[in-house]
Amino acid sequence: MRSRTAMRSTTVSQHSLSRSLSRRGLLRLGGALAGAAAGGALLAGYASSDDRRTTIRFLQNKPEAIPYFDKLIEEFHRAQSEVYVVHDSTPAALTPQFARGTPPDLGCYNYNLETSNFLARGELSDLGRLPEARRIDAQVQDLVGQYAQYKSETSVLPYSVTAAGVIYNKDLFEKAGVAIPRTWTELLKACRTFKAQGIVPVLQTYKETWTLSQGLFDYVSGSALDVAGFFTRLKELGPKAGPGAEVSFGKDFKDAVEKMLVLASYTNADAPSRTYYDGNVAFAHGKAAMYLQGPWAIGEIEKINPKARLGTFALPATEDPEDVKVRVNLDLALWIPDASEERNAATAFLRYLMRPEVMDAYNAKHLAWSPTRNAPAMRDGRVAGIQSYVDAGRFYQGAGTYFPGAIPLGNYLQELLIGGNADAFLRKLDDDWARYAQRSL
Amino acid sequence: MSAPAAIKTRPARSTAPPGPATARRRKADRTYYLMLVPAVLLFTVFISLTGLVGMFYSLTNYAGFGDWKFIGLRNYTSMLGDPRILESYGFTIWFAVVTTVVVNAVALLLAIGLNGRIKWKTGLRGIYFIPMVISGIVIAYVFNYLFSTAAPALATQLGWTAGQSSILANENWAWLAVVIVTAWQATPSALIIYLAGLMAIPKEVYEAAELDGAGGWRRFRSITFPLLIGYVVINTILGFKGFLNAYDIIVGLTNGGPGTATMSVAMTIFSGFDGGEYAFQMANAVVFFVFTLAVSLLQLLFVRNREVNLS
Repeated sequence: MRSRTAMRSTTVSQHSLSRSLSRRGLLRLGGALAGAAAGGALLAGYASSDDRRTTIRFLQNKPEAIPYFDKLIEEFHRAQSEVYVVHDSTPAALTPQFARGTPPDLGCYNYNLETSNFLARGELSDLGRLPEARRIDAQVQDLVGQYAQYKSETSVLPYSVTAAGVIYNKDLFEKAGVAIPRTWTELLKACRTFKAQGIVPVLQTYKETWTLSQGLFDYVSGSALDVAGFFTRLKELGPKAGPGAEVSFGKDFKDAVEKMLVLASYTNADAPSRTYYDGNVAFAHGKAAMYLQGPWAIGEIEKINPKARLGTFALPATEDPEDVKVRVNLDLALWIPDASEERNAATAFLRYLMRPEVMDAYNAKHLAWSPTRNAPAMRDGRVAGIQSYVDAGRFYQGAGTYFPGAIPLGNYLQELLIGGNADAFLRKLDDDWARYAQRSL
Repeated sequence: MSAPAAIKTRPARSTAPPGPATARRRKADRTYYLMLVPAVLLFTVFISLTGLVGMFYSLTNYAGFGDWKFIGLRNYTSMLGDPRILESYGFTIWFAVVTTVVVNAVALLLAIGLNGRIKWKTGLRGIYFIPMVISGIVIAYVFNYLFSTAAPALATQLGWTAGQSSILANENWAWLAVVIVTAWQATPSALIIYLAGLMAIPKEVYEAAELDGAGGWRRFRSITFPLLIGYVVINTILGFKGFLNAYDIIVGLTNGGPGTATMSVAMTIFSGFDGGEYAFQMANAVVFFVFTLAVSLLQLLFVRNREVNLS
């Protein structure tokens, strides 16, 4: 659930106000206030009981995990007598805190392009020499480097990985006699079968643009092309990027965008005016066979209709089943800012969090995977369909998450799906990226 | 009201001996300074200085934190060729002009109606005042629901095909929804100013006109409107300046969409902080500041001429 909101902050971050004002935002604000109050209470308790400990501020951004981390911190306090941890769960002020030079001592935070700004500007300390850093699976550690790199430092350690695919309604699949599609052709055939039987094949919600970039855009491009490789080559071009360059959206994304339009033609007719919440309600009531949303939506759908039988599969936008991959997200990653005055104490808590039993227990409880080598596989029926992809290392970070907030990808996608002009869309991405590269890269 | 006050003060000043009078004036001056200095300090520290800091950073590649370096005028030159920036200016100016016209027309009509001899006058005035006290973002979310869900449902009931898709999802007409909602909220403040203006027009003028056989339209055209023109100017200037800063209602209604059709300048500037383009959007803010300043100066010139005409 958290990964969804964090995702939104990268891809459509210029809409951060709407984010903080949305219903979810208000809920988060409430949670944050409660968290801050709890933190204050803890701090007050500490001041009266034990003055020898070093106090650090621990920031995490998952409202649903507040009680969990509270308990974990209590256990940590019992396990040692050097460090006192204040639990902060108010992520809204992170950028201003860095701007003021008072970031948290330890961040346990969704890692995305927005967070990578702190790394890219050299604001985080190097953790590469910790034994914990060496336990991280190299392929997952690479995900960090895909957004940004500062010198050769390892300053962000992945903590929790979530994977997302297409959510499908098992009852409707059985009723229509459709098997889980393994290739693009099979997917389109399934869509036609559903349509012929009067069932909406794919449910989408254009009104909230983050659902477009994380769903249709990321899923289709993720298996249609090598997303990480594309963005590496694009960034290497630097200010020379543009519509005519050898690496461009116009060239490399054309096939994927055309596929997006084909798939979008099997979408519910009222998609342009539907929100994420409308989508969950409609899907819970069996109004469509497939839903382009991540695992965070599963809990919401089950709240509306506990009897819904749901499964997840990786969207195949390719003819070769071997090329199909799932979208992953570094839901939580650990980092210690250079500006922290208590880096040793922060490191102590970081090492506690990275203990296999602590880390694996967290991930098992939150439908996520531990990024360490030899971590236990996560077995949950609702996401079992994508387990094999994670095990085999067949995953990618969504293309939408590589876009800086300066490029309103979500808005452009909305325009693309309403207007249907693929070339204009690609041209805009190339022009915007060129301007962004000239200004920032 | 001002006349009796002047009569009261004048004898007091003339009977007072010269010495204390000057002392009193000096004391009054100090009072003015005491009132003025905190405001000037606050304004300088929180607006002027921060504005200058922003201008400084518009010449760098600063992200709000971390390393940065000077890049000269590159942020400004980059703005000129950026269609998204130009489109946001185009949309914002068009939106401000249309909304100003709509708000003034509606407010003037309502003011005339509410100033007439009608039943429940006070109650009606109270009702028309309500939109002004509700927060813009709340209004926007309510209208968002009406446009996306209620209106299409109604259109389906009535069998009106064109209305079945939400206006907010229509790239060519979403701006109209933004205008409607903004006008709904902005009309009351313009209405109050017009009502004040209408009440200031002496009844005798209308009575004389009526005796001369002037009809309703003639009375409006030859008496009401010319005597209200000063208030029209005030409403136009205040309204236009405010609408240029459009933000909250758009965020709640369309979030700049569909596509980037309703992205205002203020929204674009604000995106810079999150989007890692702080310095670039600072340059945009500086340009927008200069633009609004130019518009305000033009309007000021226009008002000066008007005042001469009225007196």
